[in-house]
Amino acid sequence: MVMDKKSSLTMEISSDEGYAEVAVLRVCGALDFSGITMLSNVFEKLFGEARPYVIVDMAGIESICSAALGEFMGYRKRFVEQGGNLVFAGLAGNVRSKLTLLGANKIFSFYQDVRGAVNAYRWDYKKHSKSVSIAFPSFLQFVPPVRQFASRLAKQNGYSAKDAFRIETIVDEVCNNAVEHGEAGKGSEVEIKVSINKEKIALSVSNKSDPDKVAVLKELVKPAMPVSHVGDDDKRGRGLALIKMLSNELDVEITERGTSVHVTKLREE
Amino acid sequence: MDVTFPYTIRVKLPSDLEVIPPIRKFISEILVVSGFSAKFAFRSEIIVDAICNNAISYGSAGEAESEIEVSCEVYSDRFEVVVKDGGGSAPNIERLKEAIGARGAKSPIEEIESTGMGLEIVRLLSETMELSVDENNLTSIHVVRKREDVNPPA
Repeated sequence: MVMDKKSSLTMEISSDEGYAEVAVLRVCGALDFSGITMLSNVFEKLFGEARPYVIVDMAGIESICSAALGEFMGYRKRFVEQGGNLVFAGLAGNVRSKLTLLGANKIFSFYQDVRGAVNAYRWDYKKHSKSVSIAFPSFLQFVPPVRQFASRLAKQNGYSAKDAFRIETIVDEVCNNAVEHGEAGKGSEVEIKVSINKEKIALSVSNKSDPDKVAVLKELVKPAMPVSHVGDDDKRGRGLALIKMLSNELDVEITERGTSVHVTKLREE
Repeated sequence: MDVTFPYTIRVKLPSDLEVIPPIRKFISEILVVSGFSAKFAFRSEIIVDAICNNAISYGSAGEAESEIEVSCEVYSDRFEVVVKDGGGSAPNIERLKEAIGARGAKSPIEEIESTGMGLEIVRLLSETMELSVDENNLTSIHVVRKREDVNPPA
């Protein structure tokens, strides 16, 4: 930890986030003109250690001057050139407002806390997937909230409205099939797992099979059946044909015990 | 087929604050399609948001890979939600116990510290809020909210 005795400004680098290239710089106190040399020394040290992704934890910052902000901007550019970034986390309301007024939010990414910034790093640089699973009773009424959830999750993670709509359509079709053709009655559930990363979204939907429908379903998903097989008057199999058109991978497993559908959709935009 | 009560919705989500908005909206929509009022659904959404935020911010002990489990039991006359987290640090658990246990009566809003505001809002919007911590410091919060409209579905 380094400390400026005159202003009681402190800076501490930690590396306990699990990635050698990620450094968390905790700054406490008033960051004014007198603290710029200290800031510069810390950043040079990080360059020397080849840690180009820097999360500045601003939770302890009382105030920040525009010259210090300029210093951050200069070093951010250098970190980006090295394949990293410099981001802010834990900004208090007044400091955040000031930085926003200065337009810093257009240059730096702001995160609620250090973990949010680390999650963003994992998402952007490590292609980390986020997985959410939902188990819901087998009622058709629950399908619209589930499809909208998948769409919102995609949009929240930077997918375009078009991609999100296509994902929503896939989820709708797969979940409707699971409810309509799966085991019905009290206690029957449909489980959906959505795994999303920067490049693709993977869906797995599983449910218990209805013994009376297993043979028909197996016939419908035979690999020999082309998409063009679905005629204008043929209502069966349209959902699967649509999913095939909208997705990049589709795999259906039907057994007497359960049905699982795995769909992968690559991000297009 | 109409929705029959009671039923359970179980959600597992990563310890990532960005996932909470779609989850809270999902639970709100589930309540609306089950015949609860938009007001009830919105207030329940706020409860889910506050507890999940707490679980992720303070209950995952810095583990980026940890998960939060949300279990919603929906009855014709009430909504119960249990949120389990991956285990918080001892100081955070003590703060949580204090926030839930010490304020037996509802506190005036001006007396609440900003960090305990979420739980206080949950308390205002719910009938009961209980905390349990197991021997591994895994925390779960159970909240019950009763519906307000006069004629709930059978």
